[in-house]
Parts: sequence; structure tokens; C-alpha cells
Amino acid sequence: MKRLTHLPTLKIDTSKKISVYYRSKTHTGWYGDTIATLLYADGIRVFGRSLKYHRPRGLYSLDGECSNTMMAVDGRPNVRAETTMAADGMHIAAQNVQGTSEKPVESTPEKDWMGFMDHLSWAMPAGFYYRIFHKPEKLWPIAVSRIRKAAGVGVLTSGYTVKGRYDEIYPATDVCVVGGGPAGMEAALSAADKGLRVILMESRPWLGGFYDYRTSLDADGVPLYRKANAMAERIAGYPNIRVFKNAPVVGVYGNSMVTAFQRGGRDRPFEQRYIEIQTRSIVVAAGCIERPLLFENNERPGVMQMGCAHRLARTWGILPGRRAVFSIGHDLGLEAAIDLADLGMKVVHVADVREDGQDQRLLDELKKRDIPFSRGWTAIKAGGKRNIEKVTIGTVNGMRRREFSCDTLAASAGLTPVTGPLATAGAKLEYHHLTGFFLPVKLPDNVYAAGRLLGLNDPASVEASGRLNGLRAAAACGVRVDSELKAAEAETSVLPGPVRNSKMVTAPVKNQKMFICFDEDTTVKNVDQAMDRGFDVPELIKRFTAAGTGPGQGGVPGHNLPLYVAQRGDSPDVDPRPITVRPPLTPVLLATYAGRNHDMHKRTPVHESQSASDGRMDRAGVWLRARYFSDDRRSRREIENVRGNVGVLDASTLGKFRIFGNDALKALQRVYIGDMNRVREHRMTYAAMCNDDGCLIDDGVIVKQAENDYYFTTSTGRSGATIEWIRYHTRYENLDFHMVNLTDAFGVINLAGPNSRNVLQKIADVDISNEAFPFMGYREFTINDIIPVRAMRLGFVGELSYELHVPSSYMQAVWDLLEKAGKSFKIKKFGLEAQNTLRLEKCHVIIGSESEQRTTLCDLGLGFLWCKSKPEANTVGSVALRQTENQSGRLKLVGFKMKNGLERPPKDGSPIVDSRIRGYVCTARFSFTLNEPIGMALVEDSYAKPGSVFGIYENGCKGRLIRAEVVKTPFYDPTGERMKS
Amino acid sequence: MIIYQRRSPVVFPSRPLKTDIRDNWTVVLEYADEGDGPYVIDLSHKVKWDVQSADISNIKPFGLTIPEKPGECLFKNSVLAGRLNRTQAMVWDLSETPSETPDQNSFTDVTEAQLLMAIVGREASQIFEKLTALDFNDPGKKSPYVLQGPVSHVPSRVVSLRSSEPPVFLLSCSRGYGHSMVEAVLDAGREWDMTAAGENMFLSFF
Repeated sequence: MKRLTHLPTLKIDTSKKISVYYRSKTHTGWYGDTIATLLYADGIRVFGRSLKYHRPRGLYSLDGECSNTMMAVDGRPNVRAETTMAADGMHIAAQNVQGTSEKPVESTPEKDWMGFMDHLSWAMPAGFYYRIFHKPEKLWPIAVSRIRKAAGVGVLTSGYTVKGRYDEIYPATDVCVVGGGPAGMEAALSAADKGLRVILMESRPWLGGFYDYRTSLDADGVPLYRKANAMAERIAGYPNIRVFKNAPVVGVYGNSMVTAFQRGGRDRPFEQRYIEIQTRSIVVAAGCIERPLLFENNERPGVMQMGCAHRLARTWGILPGRRAVFSIGHDLGLEAAIDLADLGMKVVHVADVREDGQDQRLLDELKKRDIPFSRGWTAIKAGGKRNIEKVTIGTVNGMRRREFSCDTLAASAGLTPVTGPLATAGAKLEYHHLTGFFLPVKLPDNVYAAGRLLGLNDPASVEASGRLNGLRAAAACGVRVDSELKAAEAETSVLPGPVRNSKMVTAPVKNQKMFICFDEDTTVKNVDQAMDRGFDVPELIKRFTAAGTGPGQGGVPGHNLPLYVAQRGDSPDVDPRPITVRPPLTPVLLATYAGRNHDMHKRTPVHESQSASDGRMDRAGVWLRARYFSDDRRSRREIENVRGNVGVLDASTLGKFRIFGNDALKALQRVYIGDMNRVREHRMTYAAMCNDDGCLIDDGVIVKQAENDYYFTTSTGRSGATIEWIRYHTRYENLDFHMVNLTDAFGVINLAGPNSRNVLQKIADVDISNEAFPFMGYREFTINDIIPVRAMRLGFVGELSYELHVPSSYMQAVWDLLEKAGKSFKIKKFGLEAQNTLRLEKCHVIIGSESEQRTTLCDLGLGFLWCKSKPEANTVGSVALRQTENQSGRLKLVGFKMKNGLERPPKDGSPIVDSRIRGYVCTARFSFTLNEPIGMALVEDSYAKPGSVFGIYENGCKGRLIRAEVVKTPFYDPTGERMKS
Repeated sequence: MIIYQRRSPVVFPSRPLKTDIRDNWTVVLEYADEGDGPYVIDLSHKVKWDVQSADISNIKPFGLTIPEKPGECLFKNSVLAGRLNRTQAMVWDLSETPSETPDQNSFTDVTEAQLLMAIVGREASQIFEKLTALDFNDPGKKSPYVLQGPVSHVPSRVVSLRSSEPPVFLLSCSRGYGHSMVEAVLDAGREWDMTAAGENMFLSFF
């Protein structure tokens, strides 16, 4: 096709050629072409097949308002050819086409073996998916499978990986303007003139909106496209206006956040990027789209919106066809017909659904060109099998008809405002009788609407509206603009206001395929069927017929559906109600939402050396921790080495805090269930925190370092919440205390086993004998007078052991020193799995493993930590503990062993007595120390006594229970001799 | 004399050219192929204190008056003091010779708890824009100032030390996030060929 290369409105660079591959052929276009315009210019008219009926579909809106031109590009399905810029070497394939080629890339949508589905529409009435194939029951899975196979658009091949970079940015601004048309640009300029930061969002790759392709003159005789260029140039000169082009808005949230995505590719270092804008005020000037005209075969290739036909010529230099009929409902259609006729297209007839209201100057221009014009006429039928070959038009009342042969039908019922951004912001929309639009009647604070979406049509009014609302947005940011606002209001008051738009018109045909939603193949007849079944609310009809639930996000049916429902409803005097709009207003790739998706995790100071020693590093909350140091998932050697020799564990993830200040002790008394007055220097105190329900939420040790200055530890999982927890529970008392999170400041090494003292003595500068450093003791010493160590004698794994807190930067050095000092003792690293079994043998609990939301301190057998003499009202959880202490029917923690010689521990499961669930298994492992399986379970108190026997129901046991018996705990070293020696 | 090496949580995928041992830290002074920026520079070895007191206005770390309003900072004699909230401030000693912790109960040395990186270059604020919603382009804010919030989802403190010629930012977060944060920052800066630079580069900007 010969393209128009002389037009001043073109957005293509005819000096740069671009080639893409489609159906095994090379198609060539120019830089600036979208995939759709490039193919259209090369004669492609059918771009794909429809979802349900496999009808041929072609270019319709150029803005991706429907799925007509979704294609597979370089293996990625559902790419919008209308809005995706063509790039050299792209491989394009049609979608939803079957049978024409074994290779999908060679499939021709002109021929589709599934095209017969179009003749079976009688078998697929509205909601058929919900109503039939359900009986007999066996039929449903088969039906679902077949329906899903037959329907659908793009297919994602298994193993497909999204290529390219998907970025994200989080800019902040004072005013965010949605829409880069004349109103949006004026709004941006007037806010920027006040010194504010402005972000201007435009979904097309250039600014200009409905000016950028039009050669019509404004009141001063300036062509609108030139005006748009001049405004865009002015904007470029403002350093405080940031423009995001090719960036559709996804949603507006309240009055402070706008999300969008920007298409990249070609000249940008990303494929798409997510944009999340924090803003102080918002102007929505998103303009209008066209409301589709309803007539038979209104989606046949060759039928396109009037703006699509016009922009195709003016922006991309492509005449839509040779002979065209226009069936329109807005002066823009008359303008398009005149302009396209001037550019060389034969316009055989213009039918206008409006009886009156046309711009007489435009009618005169039509007359000058001998283009026949009919008032109150509309398209009735588009004829032709794959492309249109003829069009029948007729009077709205169906009394008269005429037929024209043509290859193009520019069809539009009029305009409809793009109010999605306002709707998602929380604006209330109502039907406006003059304009026929759903207009905002109540906007959220600091959110403003401007331009054509308010029903304005006159260019001067549209621009003035932008200026006025830009000033309002500036005022919302605290800028004094009183006088300018008054002037702007006065300016708009004398300019033309909202204009009357064409009303809802349906072609006078019955039972024919008039599509109200192209994406879902929903016809007007389907809507009638839904209403005949009693559906009378557009929201419900939408769901029953699927209209508006496709990839176009309601672009095509969004306005027609509620208008049609209101018109056909039993109460025609009821105003149409808009359909709820939800983000994303424009579909976004999941890859864009995923963004860079860095796995932000914490590593301990000895992560690398553990990893290098075959440590398998697993995620534990925000941390990566070593679980095993061999392929043995039961960690037998690691366990046996701790029990018989010495092992070393990285426990750096423990929470560590300093609390100090005049009221530090009072704060500790509040949140710990024990008596913190008993915390002394050089001694550790093991203590627990409960919530208001008396349930255990944390445990750790506390050390007094000076008067009102304490160092305490928490479990790994709670460290992130500890400061907030303590602040929350002391919030009314104005206590004078301060906390510092030192979790990352200290690495922690747990040196455990009967030889641990021998190893530590080799590097410590002090006497660490049992007398000098007893169980539950706390000492501070240095290693070679250099590395400070805070040492605690603890026994979580049930052996003589030390917890060494060392500065994180020195952690690797101390770790290496211990490994060296322990070499002669065959020291071994042990991981979380070994630690879990070791502490299980000792029946030491892990919060979350042996407790859940209902488990109180007393349920766990830790009631000894509760200081009953403390004032209940000043101790979190104390009241609930008193109330539940002797409550019957609670689940109590018990130790159990397997009966009948079973040599494996149970899997996750539930204790069963008398066919009823009596609790659940918490942890169970095979104890290599005891040479038998052991476990802990929470069971009903009546079954918690040693000697009680219960069955255990395991996942997948098919009703065969294994038996276990409650035994005395701890399993290992019940007197604690080994820890204390 | 035994030297126990202290390790920084920040490791760059670049080859150090010049190093210096300082207080047992191996400080990289220069990396190979530092390029023309933007740069990311490890300053984790710099001494950092958390200062908390009900009477914080009367605390004068190294003679500096802690600013009154949360977010405000003061940078003098290579010491940065920033107000975080009603009772809390941060003090970072960015000099080559580390200072001793003041003998006051309200000071806690958090050098080991937090990593510190400088991000320097004309594109530094654009790099941060990819990592955080914290607003470093607000013309109403005068450097130095500190913002607290998530950077790449990690709770962080970011100081805008200098807003131009070239902009200098200091990023601090929990030490454990070192590996992930380096990865995220370098990835965000890849668009502008961001490279790792040594401490000399940082000092050259002052």
C-alpha cells in the first residue's frame, strides 16, 4: 500500500525502515509504526479470531480497547498489536486460529477450522456455561475441558520465560495529571507555573490527545495539531514537569497515589516498568473514547472507529481503505470523513444517528465534496465474509434502508468519557442527561477532573478547563492562587460548556450478531437473554454474559451495556448506572508487577563459610540459616557429635536488644511475665513474654549490664516486632526508657557438647571453669585482648554449652578460631535440624512449633516463669494466665514415645482417642541418643498424664492409626546434670 | 601481633586495587575500573552511634548540636548528626580516623549493626527512585537531611548529604541485608553503568 508521507501530523520516521515476520513473510514498515499499523499498511486486515465464535477480527480502535488485535510476538501471547511499537526482527503470529498450519507462526486468521463455531451460537446462549453440561455430573469435567480448549486467545507454551527487564520506579510529585491532551497539558503548565512539581501521564507515545492528528483550526486559525506541538514544546521547557509517555494509568488510589506502567523496548532500558506515584493532588484529563455503534456484524474487519480511521491516515499515513461509509454520532466523524476524502479516500456516504446538532460548517464542507449525508440514519449491517464488502444503512426507526459497496466502515455512536481513573479514586459517577455521559458528581478531596471527559467539546473550553483545574490542584498543594482561580473561573464561564451527545441507538434488527463486547463475543441478544431470565442490573448481567470481563477491561462495552440495560429495562425512566471499574484500567503484565523482585534476605556474618562447608542454607523468616551440613536429612552425625563431643552452631539470628533509661526496669516488668527485679549482673535470667491472652509469644534471656541498662535476647521470629511490642504496652505511661535493636550487631555462636569448655578455654582470656562460669552465668571477656565477647552459659540443646555474642565484623574470626581450637576434639558444625532434635530430646520448646495461638505459658509447662506476686494489671498476660491456669479441657504439651516397637516417628498428625481428635503432634523425630522415636504433642489435659495412650492419625494413613504413649519429660538428662556440669 | 580481620557486610563484585587496614577493617581505597560514575561506596567501617535520650536537645556529640526537627541533619568536621524523632538521633563519624564512643549512657555504638553505603553521582536520585518511594527530589528539602523508610523493601535510613555536583546519598540498613542490598543497588544503577568505588572516591567529593 502506498502510504501518505507528506502529512505534517505523521508520527513515523520514513527514513528508518523496520521489518517484522508474519506468516513466514517479511513485512516492512517505518520507525513509529505499531505492529498493527505496519501489518495494516502491508494489506493485513484480519488479525485474529474471536474468543467464542472464532469470528475474524481486525483493527478497531488503535488504542487497545479490545482484544481484536492481540497477537503473539516473539512467543509471548496476547500482545496488543495496536499499542506495541514494531521493532526490527519481531516474529508475529495470529492467535486463536486452528488448522491452517502445523506451525502456529504460519497460521492464517483468514481461514480458521474453528470458524464453524459462529454457526453454533444458538447453542451458546447467555450463561450457557453456568446452566448446561452440569447434568449428568460426569459430563461437566469433559465439557469444561472441551470448552476451554475451544475458547481462549493466546496460548503460553510450557517453559516460556519472560525475557527482558521489568523495572519499577516510585516517583513523588505535587500534582499528577492523568492525560496528555490539551486539557492535561494546560493543567500541567498552570500547576508548574506555580513552582510545583508536576508529573504528566500519557498512554500514547506522544502528547496531544485529540489535537495531535487534527488539521482543523481553532478560533485563532491555528491547526490543532500545531497547537498540540506547541504545548508539548512548552512542557518540554519546564524542568519541573516530568512527562511519562506511553504510560497508561492502572489506577488512582484515594488522592495520593497513581499507579501506571510504561512501555519500553526499543529506546528504553526496560520492556515495561511499573510506576507508583506519590502525589499531593491529581487532575484527571483522560479525555474520551468512542462508544461503539451497535449493528449487525459491527466487529467485522473493515469496521473501525472514526478516530481509528482518521488517525490511521493522519498519524501513520495509511488510508484505511478505498471506499468508505461513515456511520457516526459526533462531529469528529464528519471531520474525519471530510479529511479522509481530502486525503484520497472515496467516502460514499455519511450517516449520522443524530437528527440535529451537527456543526453546519462541517455539513457545508461535506456538501462541497459531494458526500451524501443522512440525518437520523445508522449502520444496520456490515456485509462480507472476512472483510466488509458492503454496508447497509437505514433510518433509526428501520423504515428505510440503503446498501453501499465499500471496504471500510467508520462507525461510532459518539463519545464516552474515560472516567476509570476517577472511579478508582473513589469519585461518584452519575448519568448526565445532556451529555449522555457518566460524570463525576462527587470527587475525593484534591482530585479534579478536566477537559473533554466533562462533556466539553470546544477546544478553548477544553484548554480553559485544564488551566482551571491545574490551578485548583496547585491550591490543594497549599499555593495561594486566589486571583488566578477567579480569573480562570471567569474565563470558563463565558466559554461553551458541555454539549449534547448522541443518544443510545441500536440498529433496527433482531436476533442478529450485534456485539456489545468484542472480547467475550457477547451480543445484544445475549444481554436480552440475561434480562429475560430476570437479570436487571448491569453488574449482574456483566457477570452472566461475561460482557466487559475480557482483556479490554470494559473499553468497548463499558458504556453501551448500562445504557442498553436501562433502555430495555422495565423502568425506562430509571437512569443508567455505571458499571464498577476496578484496577488495572489497562492490563499489565505480571512480570511488570513482579518488577526486579530481588530476594531481600539477611545473611549471618558466617553465611559464606557455612555455605562453603556444604551447609544447606534455608530461609527462616528474613534470614538464611544452615539446616544441614550433609546429605543426611536426619543429621545423625551432627547430633551425635554434640552429645558426645562438641559442635558449633550459628545462632546469629536471635533478636538482641539494649534497653536503658530511668524506667527500663518498669518496661521489662510490664512485658515479661516473670519478676525482672531478680535480674542480676553476671547472671542470666530466662524469661518469657505473653500476650494479653496469656499465650507465649516470646522467650529469651535478660542480662543486667548496669543500673537500668539491660541486654536481652528474643527469638529470631519476634525480633522485628519487639520494640513496637514494648512501646505498645507502655504507651500510656510516659515511661523514660530507650531501646536499640542490636540483632545485627552481634553474631552468636552456640558452642555445645561435653568438650565445649575445653575448646573455649583455648581462646578465652579468662577462667571459664564451672566454678568461675557456672550454668546460667554471664561473662564478658576478650579474645587476645582484641575481640570482646559476651558469653552466656545456656543449655538449649541439653549439653554443656556457651552462647558467645561477638561483634558481627569479628564473627568469622571467632568462628575460625573455634574451629581451629576444636580441631583436636573433632569439632563439627551443626545446623537447625540437629538443633531441633537435640532440644526435642530435652523437651525445650520452640514457639510456633510447640505452641499456637491458644497455647498459654502454663499449657507448655512453663508456668514456673510466671511471677504471681507481680501486680496483674501491670503485667501483660497475667490476668489471662490466672483465669486459665486451672481451666479444664485445655491442650497440654506432653512428650510421647511410640508403642508396638514402631521405629519411625509419626508424620504430622493428630492424637486420636475414642475416634475423636484430641490435639495434634507438634514435633517428632528419631532420637539417635535414645535410639527410638520421640515426640511432643499438644493433647487434651485428660490424656496428658504419663501412661495415657492415644492413636495418631497421619496424613495418608487411610484410617490406620499408629499408637503412642505419653511419657515423663524430658526424654534426655532429666536432672540437667549435663548442662550444669 | 595477631590481627583478627573484621569483615564488612558489603562485598562488591569488583577487584580492589588499594586497601588499608584500619582498626582491623580492610578498607578498600580504590577498585579496578571505577569508571565515571555513578558510584556505590562501602562505608560500613565508619563509626555510627544511636543516641537516645529524653533530653536529647542538650546532647552535643563532638560539639555538634543535634538538629531540632526529625529529618534534619548537620554535617560538620566529617561528623553527621541527624534527628530521627523526639528522643532519638544518629551520629555518624565519616572521618578517616574513628572517634571513641562518647562516655554517655545515651550513646550506643551501632557500627556493627548497620551497613553504610554511599551512592554518588548525577543519577543517584534516579537510582533511589527505582528502590524506594522516599522522595529525594523534593526541592523543599535542603541537604543534608535524612529520610527513614523502606529501600527495596528493607527498613533503611537514607541521608541526602549533598544535592548536587554530584549528589551524595548515604544508605544505612541492617547489616544482615548487605548481600541483598548490594545486589539491588547495583541492579538499579546498571542503567547508568554504576560501579563500585573505594573510600578515596568518597573523600574526593569533600
